[in-house]
Amino acid sequence: MSLLAVNNLAIATGGHDLVADLSFAIEPGQRLGLIGESGSGKSLTAMAISGLLPPAIVPRGSVTLDGVEVIGAPERKLNKLRGAASAVVFQEPLTALDPLMKLGRQLAEPLRRRFRREGRDLAGIEAETIALLERVSLPQPQRIANAYPYEVSGGQRQRVAIAMALACRPKLLIADEPTTALDVTTQAEILALLDSLVRDLGMALLFISHDLPVVSTIVDQVLVLRQGRMVETGPVKSVLGTPTQQYTQSLVAAARAFDTALGAR
Amino acid sequence: MTTIELDRPARRSAASLTFIVGLILVGLHVAIALLTLVWTPYDPSSTAGGRLEAPSLLHWAGTDRLGRDLFTQIMIGSRIALQVGIGAVGIGAAIGVTIGVLAAFATRLLDDALAAAFDILIAFPTLLLAMLVVAASDTASLWSAILALGIALSAIVGRLTRILAKRVLQMDFITAARTSGTSWPRIVVIHILPNIWPTLMVNFALQFGLAAIAEASLSYLGLGAPPPNASWGRLLQEAQGTVYTAPFGAIAPGLALLVLVIGINLFADGLRDVGDPTRRRSR
Amino acid sequence: MSILSLDQVNFGYTSKARVLNEVSFEVERGANLGIVGESGSGKTTLLRLLLGLERPTSGTINFGSVQLDPRDANFMRRYRRAVQMVFQDPYSSLDPRQRVRDIIAEPLQSLRIEGNHDEAVAAALTEVGLPADAVRRYPHEFSGGQRQRIAIARAIVARPQLVLADEAVSALDLSTRVRIVELLKQLGHTMTLVLVSHDLGVVAALCPRIVILERGIVVEAGDTATILAAPQHPYTRKLIASVPRMPA
Repeated sequence: MSLLAVNNLAIATGGHDLVADLSFAIEPGQRLGLIGESGSGKSLTAMAISGLLPPAIVPRGSVTLDGVEVIGAPERKLNKLRGAASAVVFQEPLTALDPLMKLGRQLAEPLRRRFRREGRDLAGIEAETIALLERVSLPQPQRIANAYPYEVSGGQRQRVAIAMALACRPKLLIADEPTTALDVTTQAEILALLDSLVRDLGMALLFISHDLPVVSTIVDQVLVLRQGRMVETGPVKSVLGTPTQQYTQSLVAAARAFDTALGAR
Repeated sequence: MTTIELDRPARRSAASLTFIVGLILVGLHVAIALLTLVWTPYDPSSTAGGRLEAPSLLHWAGTDRLGRDLFTQIMIGSRIALQVGIGAVGIGAAIGVTIGVLAAFATRLLDDALAAAFDILIAFPTLLLAMLVVAASDTASLWSAILALGIALSAIVGRLTRILAKRVLQMDFITAARTSGTSWPRIVVIHILPNIWPTLMVNFALQFGLAAIAEASLSYLGLGAPPPNASWGRLLQEAQGTVYTAPFGAIAPGLALLVLVIGINLFADGLRDVGDPTRRRSR
Repeated sequence: MSILSLDQVNFGYTSKARVLNEVSFEVERGANLGIVGESGSGKTTLLRLLLGLERPTSGTINFGSVQLDPRDANFMRRYRRAVQMVFQDPYSSLDPRQRVRDIIAEPLQSLRIEGNHDEAVAAALTEVGLPADAVRRYPHEFSGGQRQRIAIARAIVARPQLVLADEAVSALDLSTRVRIVELLKQLGHTMTLVLVSHDLGVVAALCPRIVILERGIVVEAGDTATILAAPQHPYTRKLIASVPRMPA
């Protein structure tokens, strides 16, 4: 059974569909890239999967995550699902973290939930916090745990945000443009980190981005979205190598233009 | 980022509805205030009927304890409330916006000093400040009350203006204006004021309501417009003794004040929406 | 011939920490220059110096043969006319309360440039590929790419020699980005572009010359193709290796 199965998902507000007829599945350990430009509905789709859509926006169809139907599920049921089944890493690590709470304490929150779920002794949380910060390759984890979000760099904040997502031990990691706000060299480091974490922990990955080269470095399968509709899907190599749809072809041509300008690697 | 468009037409028609209701309520007060300059149902200072009569067709709001027509008094009170509101907000806006914009541009030290001055003035209760100014002037007159309230309001307007102007100053279009060679005074006129205007507008309306209420309070305490000016506050104060036997004497001026304050707020909300190109349907 | 030349420019907001350290390079007429740096490289400060919004702590910036001096109002008026700017965020760089006509005409008005302003605005709009009826509309009625076109129209309306662009395409969607880069490329025929960016791909597509900035120091400068093919400095090598590439 698929870890995530999206069937005929439609997301509507005020009578018109922002996303329609969207179906895809992610198997345990699989990596899917959701490619789209602004207005494609890629972030809405991620929100629908995590049950985070605002009340004015209504999803239809079916989203089953770890065997549980998400659409129409009560908040209590969704809460159980979040963390255990899926966790999200957002684009902007500064707004995703509470500015007034030390990073260590923020990280301890999801850990506490998982420890309760697993019936473990809560005394181990502090050690686990440090271990997690080490796991996302942060230097001086003790210092980071005692720092506030504004006291560390953007790349370090994103590492903490990833650590928070990992704290839940999710089966599916949803990353919504996690490197868009970062510098090129930091982006390369974060991508490498995500790649190794997903592999080592056996998580599935839903990676959302508008950046073709970035997506292609980290996923196996891609799905191209445009104005809420699926354009094309398949393995990275074939979709980005020999795109069949005109829209995908134009995106690939655009990305290749910059790639070619950089010369041979 | 995905931005989500909510149902815009519905919101827009609701906005224009509040604007129209506000316009009617404020317009009614303005019309009545202007009317009192040429005509009132009865002579405000002479007896027109029996004492403490209940509202009737002859006396829509009843009569006071001297037998004067209350509706006539309320109509005149409307003029005083508008005079105070416009005067106090006008003074507050002129001083507050000027100093607020200056503070936004000032050096760190002057800016801090001005910000602190605003805070201290705001920490002082508006009414108490106004009472002090009125008490300090020899004769309690309508104008000393207006001046007092205007000064108190200028601190609130000044602080808001400073914060809003600082926010606009950080926008790239200000840098663009500077690199286009636009002078600072012109930047204030064509970029800063238009961008902070909508928020100030709503704030002015709130201040207007506050000023009207504060004037009523001053009059109630005997520090406002002296007789024969029939301020709503003085009407309330005079009705105090007979509130159990003739409640309409207190209810009527209170209602008039309530309608004016609500009207002005709805009007300001609507005005903000109408004045904002991003909220207006184009083409 | 160089339009701008920087000679050992230093800058620090406080006396201790230097944001720019001994920065020297030249902008030559007709050769677009890319200034590549990441956060903390000092590229934003460098832009502010080039715009005359700040003065170097030491060192000189020469415009032609004259030294750039923000305090000289007469000189600055000529300089502003010759050097215009395009910003990264097309939402913050256009005043939401002005009509497009007034936005684009602002340099003409403020620099008191003679001639028919409406015609100049119309010509600039045509050049950036926007319809003539855009003049009556407000920024919020346009998409991000269109707004960046409006910002470019404002930058070129006074016919400057130099356009400084701060990450001018990085906030845009890929397909829009390609079109704006194409537009900037065409403008390069009549004016010189200095593009400050962290995006090597965009810089490589637009600029034959490149300056690599790391923590306020120019670590490498010269011909773009040469540097991309054989980077000398370790930071340049790391930067190039970090750019994600399309699958073969």
